[in-house]
Amino acid sequence: MSIALLEMRRAKLRFGLLSGAVALLVFLVLFLSTLSGALIESFTGAIKNLNADVLVYSSSARDNIQGSRLDPSVVAKVAAVPGVAAAGGIATTTTSAQLPSGKGDLALFGFDPTKPGAPDGVKEGRLPNAANETAVDVAGATIGSTITLLPTNIPLEVVGILSGAQFSAAPTAYVDLPSYQAALKAANPNAPFIPLNAVAVETTPGSDPAAVASQVANTVPGTAGYTISDAVAKIPGVSSVSQTFGILVGMTFVISIVVIGFFFLILTVQKMRVFTLLRATGASTGRLARSVVVQITAVVVVASAVAILLVWGALKGASTGIPVSLDPTLVIGTVLAVWVFSLAAGLLSIRRIRSIDPATAAGAR
Amino acid sequence: MTTNTVAPADVQQTGKPILEVVDVTKTYGEGHTAVTAIAAASLSVAEGQFVSLLGPSGSGKTTLISMIGGLLTPTSGTIRLGDQVVSDMSKKELTNLRAERVGFVFQSSNLVPFLTARENLLYVASLPKKHSRKAAAKRADELLGELGLSDRANNVPEKLSGGERQRVAIGRALMNDPDLILVDEPTAALDTALGRQVVQLLAREVKQRGKTGIMVTHDLRMVEYTDQVFEILDGHLTKSDGTTLLDGH
Repeated sequence: MSIALLEMRRAKLRFGLLSGAVALLVFLVLFLSTLSGALIESFTGAIKNLNADVLVYSSSARDNIQGSRLDPSVVAKVAAVPGVAAAGGIATTTTSAQLPSGKGDLALFGFDPTKPGAPDGVKEGRLPNAANETAVDVAGATIGSTITLLPTNIPLEVVGILSGAQFSAAPTAYVDLPSYQAALKAANPNAPFIPLNAVAVETTPGSDPAAVASQVANTVPGTAGYTISDAVAKIPGVSSVSQTFGILVGMTFVISIVVIGFFFLILTVQKMRVFTLLRATGASTGRLARSVVVQITAVVVVASAVAILLVWGALKGASTGIPVSLDPTLVIGTVLAVWVFSLAAGLLSIRRIRSIDPATAAGAR
Repeated sequence: MTTNTVAPADVQQTGKPILEVVDVTKTYGEGHTAVTAIAAASLSVAEGQFVSLLGPSGSGKTTLISMIGGLLTPTSGTIRLGDQVVSDMSKKELTNLRAERVGFVFQSSNLVPFLTARENLLYVASLPKKHSRKAAAKRADELLGELGLSDRANNVPEKLSGGERQRVAIGRALMNDPDLILVDEPTAALDTALGRQVVQLLAREVKQRGKTGIMVTHDLRMVEYTDQVFEILDGHLTKSDGTTLLDGH
């Protein structure tokens, strides 16, 4: 066993406390990242996971799909713009519904199953292709169950379960456009027509979606074009939520790194006598530096394992109201980042080790 | 590596000289603030000899053995250990020299506090990678046995007595089968009887193993176990005939 691991074995309390402190900090980073990711996904999922390259809103929509009103005839005009391979209308509204968990808000989406604008991420079942069928991202919904729109009492049969398709932190139900129009007509019998909110565009192969979005806006009067990522970023509240969580996660991350860096620096300073002795007996600086690297790696590995368990437990126990799951990519990325930056912070210790004069072990200086 | 011809004044003809120190000077600082810690010191020690270096505190004893052991570089002069000129070595070469050819017993034993007695020996064995892990473990056990520490092998230094710690330090110094063993004030933290035992042990190990040993001490009672005695006063090294040892100190 290496000297670094032997020391850890003999100083279980000291390294246990450090690993515990780092575990809590990694837990915070992971938990906040997971929550912020889930929250943002719950705000944006329906737009982000649309099967389209470009979205077209009305120019008066102020970048918000729910503020957009388009005449259904716009779909054909958009489809005629160069660079557009296909276009399909999307309509959305927020309504009350009887959900498996009880009465609540539901974002109802209407789309044309034969055109762009269908939701991606069918986890189970299929997309609707007949009247009053629906694919949903609703907690507790199962294939074959029914969701009832209120106050019209229109039943929708669940034929597909979606993931990552929530919108504005509300559950979503996708139906075909005729079903959507029928539902809204039933709720508003005097409405002259049911407008679309957006046109989903699939661009021709090789086209730049940003260029096609501008082209649509320039060609079809009263419209504004967005790439999907642009449309997601402009959803109200998303950028400020992202920014706030980004700062929280970033600060926690920096604090973790500083704690690890300072701890190992303190440990190194405390062990200068030992390091000096080891240098005097023939240990190279590289060998001593490696022992610091081994200890940092061991602490990060142990702390990360504990943190992952804590996050898993917290997510299982927490009632967030939005679907939250631990993303392996996020976990691996966070742990790797903590490790790499901790090693960088360990350079402070290695610098101290490099400055050791082995002659001091003999008391010659 | 360069090899210089040396002709030290005090070469002993009892055997082949393994260590030769010729006109070695160590100066700290520059100009009018310069302090000469060692002034043109020369000595020669043959294989199998155990010599003592006597002198009061601050006389330059530790500085001299630090230069001999490759911990310090002399300002001028030549130090040769066997076929290697220590005084010409780079820092990296000195690190290797210390790991492979020199065994140190520092003042107050200086063991790694979080390693057991056995692990303290095994760690230095891992530095030059002279021995396989198995061979190193066997040698460590043998050494600890010879030093009467078999039943203390798995104790960390704080669980050992002062004498036991000093014996572990001796074992560590012998672990890599070095050519030269440098011992700095081995009796400083021990009572007279224990100090005597430790020095006897050192003398026996040096003789039995055919090593060369230098012991720094200011305890005149310990010189009886050594083959020749050098005195050092204010950085000036002289060979003692045993009658004028550190008069007045």
